[in-house]
Amino acid sequence: MSTRRSTAVDFRRREARTAWLFLGPVLLVVGLFVLLPVLGTLHNSLFRDISFMPRTFIGFGNYAEIVSQPRFLTAVRFTLLFTVTAVALETLLGMSFALVLNEAFPGRGALRTIMLIPWAIPTIVSAKTWKLIFDYTYGVLNYLVVTFGLSADKVNWLGSAPSAFAAIVVAEVWKTTPFMVIILLAGLQAVPRELHNQARVDGAGIGRRFFAVTLPIIRPVVIIALIFRTIDSLRIFDLIYVLTGGGPGGSTASLSILGFRYFTDDRFGMGSAVSVITFLVAFGVSLVYLKVGRFRESMG
Amino acid sequence: MRRTLVVVCLILTAAGCARKGELTILAGGTPRETAYWEKVLERFEDSTGIEVGLIRSATHTEQKKQAVLVALRGRKSDPDVMLMDVAWIGQMAHSGWLEPLGPHGVDPAPFYGRVIDLADMHDGTLVGLPVYVDGGLLYYRSDLLAAHGYDSPPRTWNELRETAIAIQEARREENPDFWGFVWQGAQYEGLVCNALEFFVSAGGGIVDSAGRPVLDSEENKRALRWMVDLIHRDKLSPPNTYTDMREEEVRMVFQSGNALFERNWPYAWASHQEPDSPVKGKVGMAPLPHFEGGRSASTLGGWHVIVSAFSDRTADAVDLVNFITSYEVQKDFALDLGWNPGRRDVYEDEELLEKNRALATLRDVFDNAVPRPPVPYYSQISNVLQERLNAALAGREKPGDALREAQNEVEEIVRRYEHTP
Repeated sequence: MSTRRSTAVDFRRREARTAWLFLGPVLLVVGLFVLLPVLGTLHNSLFRDISFMPRTFIGFGNYAEIVSQPRFLTAVRFTLLFTVTAVALETLLGMSFALVLNEAFPGRGALRTIMLIPWAIPTIVSAKTWKLIFDYTYGVLNYLVVTFGLSADKVNWLGSAPSAFAAIVVAEVWKTTPFMVIILLAGLQAVPRELHNQARVDGAGIGRRFFAVTLPIIRPVVIIALIFRTIDSLRIFDLIYVLTGGGPGGSTASLSILGFRYFTDDRFGMGSAVSVITFLVAFGVSLVYLKVGRFRESMG
Repeated sequence: MRRTLVVVCLILTAAGCARKGELTILAGGTPRETAYWEKVLERFEDSTGIEVGLIRSATHTEQKKQAVLVALRGRKSDPDVMLMDVAWIGQMAHSGWLEPLGPHGVDPAPFYGRVIDLADMHDGTLVGLPVYVDGGLLYYRSDLLAAHGYDSPPRTWNELRETAIAIQEARREENPDFWGFVWQGAQYEGLVCNALEFFVSAGGGIVDSAGRPVLDSEENKRALRWMVDLIHRDKLSPPNTYTDMREEEVRMVFQSGNALFERNWPYAWASHQEPDSPVKGKVGMAPLPHFEGGRSASTLGGWHVIVSAFSDRTADAVDLVNFITSYEVQKDFALDLGWNPGRRDVYEDEELLEKNRALATLRDVFDNAVPRPPVPYYSQISNVLQERLNAALAGREKPGDALREAQNEVEEIVRRYEHTP
C-alpha cells in the first residue's frame, strides 16, 4: 500500500519535473521578452527622462501631465472610434466572406487563397500603395472622381479630419478582413452539417439557422478573433504613420502615434507612460471580451 | 516598437563595427554619400597613416539622431567623430558631450563666420565646424517671368503674390495642375524651417535674443495668416501643401513644370538642371522675399562635424576634423557631391565658380541665415510648432489661436526646463 502510494507520488513528482522542463523555455522567453520590457517601460514612465536634462523620479507626474492635455483626449477619442468602426466593419465583412467561402462551389480553393493577399502584404507596403491611391495630385481616386464628374475639383482626401479618418479605416479594413475570414472560416468548418439539416427539417430559415445554430457554436472563435483585432487596432501605428503622420493638425493621432511623438521629442518618460496607458487599455478590453465570452457560453 | 528595434540595430552595428581603440567616424547615409566618405577616409589614411573606421549612418535624419544620442548618452568612446545636423549642436553641447575644439588649435577663421557664430560656438568655445551649409531659397521659372514681362524675381511677398496670381491664371488655361508657389507645409521639421523664414521676414521669430518664446506676436500672426491665405484664399499653393508637401514633393511639382515659384534647399538646383529635367535651363535662384519693411531670411541648415567628449583618440579625431574641413576636401565636396562648403574661402575658387555659377547666389543666401533656437529643448518646441502650425494651415485653427496655444505650450516647456535642478 505504502509503496504504491510512494510510486504514485514519485510519478507525480517526475511528471511535474517534466512539465517544468517543458514549460521552462517558454517561461524564460516570455519573461525575458514580454514581462521584462513591460516592467521596464512601467519603471521608465515614473521618471522625468528627457534627453538633455537630469533624470528624476516624479512618481505619476507624467501620467498627470498626459491626462491633462487636450491632445491626449483627442488621441483616445480617435483610437476608440477607429477601433470600434474598423473592427465592426471587419467582422461584418469577414463573416459574410467566410459564410460564402464555407459553401461548396467551383474555384473555392483559389478564391480562398486570393482572399489572403491583402493580409500577406506588409502593412508599410500596402499603406504606401493606399497613400498613392489617395494622393491629391496623382492619385487614382481623384482621377476617378474627376473623370466621372463626381466633383469638379480634386479632393484632398487626407487633408480634412473626417475624410482622413475614413481613408485610414478603408485601408485598415481592406488589409485585415482576410484575417477575420480565415479565423471565422476555421470556426465555421467545425459546425456539424447534421445540426443544420436537423434545423432545416424543423423549418428554420437561413437567418434563424445562422443565429440559433452557427453563431452559438463559433462564438469562442469570434471572441478570439475580436480580441486579436481589437488589440491590434488599439495599437494602430504604421498605417497612420504612412498615410497622415497623425495629421491634419493632430486629428488622426492614435495613442501609439502620440507615444511615438514623445519619443522623438526626446521625452522618454512621457513616451513610456503613453505606452503603459495603451497597454492597460488593450489589456482591459481583452479581459472584458473574455469575461463576456465565457458568460454567454455558460448561458448557452 | 519599430523605433526601439531601429535603435537596437544601431547599437549593435555601432558596437559591431568598431574595434576597441580604433578611430571611428559616424557619417554617410545614402549609398552615394557613404561611398564618397569611404574615399575621403582612404585619402586621410594615405596622408596620415592613421587608420579610421566608418560607421555608416542611417538615411533618415530622425534615425541619424538616435544613433548620435545612443552613443553620447551612453558615454561611448566610439564613434570619436560624428556628423550632426546643425539643429542638434546646441542640445549636445549643453549636455557637455562635445569636445571643445579651440584648445586643440582648430581655427574657425576660413569658415562662414556667421554660421560659426550662430551654430558652432557654445559658451564662447568652438565645438564644431560646418562640413556643408544649407539655407532656404527661392527658385523661380526665369522663362515664365520673362514671357510675362517681369525682368527680376520678386523681392517682397506681395510682389510674389501678384506675379503668381497673374501667371498662374494665364498658365491654367493650358495646364490645370499649375500652381503659383510651392513650399513645405506638411507636419514635420521642414514646416518649422519654412515658418521661421516667413516669421523673421515679417519682423517676428520663435524666440527673442534672450531665448524667451515670442510666438504670439502681431508679426508672426501676419506671417502665418499669409501662409494660410496662400492655400485657402489666393489658392496659389495646392491644398495638399499641409498634408504632403515635403522637400521632395515640392521639388517634383516644380521640376515637372507645374509651379512658378518654389521654396527649397540648395540641393534642388542640381536636380532641376539634370539632362532629363523639363525645367532645365529655365530656373533661377534668389534669396527668399520678405514682407514690406522686413528683411529676407533663410533658415540655416546643414551638417557639422564634431568630436565626442568621450573619445579615446582625441588628438587623431581633431586631425580627422581638420582634414575633412580642409580646403581641398571641401572643394571636392562641392565638385563631386554638389554640397555647399562651410568654408567661405572655397567660394572664391575660380575653378568652382566656373563649374557652378549658383554658388555666387548661395553666398548671398547664407548671409541672411537665421538659426533655429539653439536651446536644449528645441525638439520639443519644434514638435509643438509642427502640430499647431499645421492645424492652422489645415484651417482647423485660426492663426492667432494656433500661435497663442503654441506660445503657452512652449512657455510650459521652458518653465519645466528651468525648474529642473
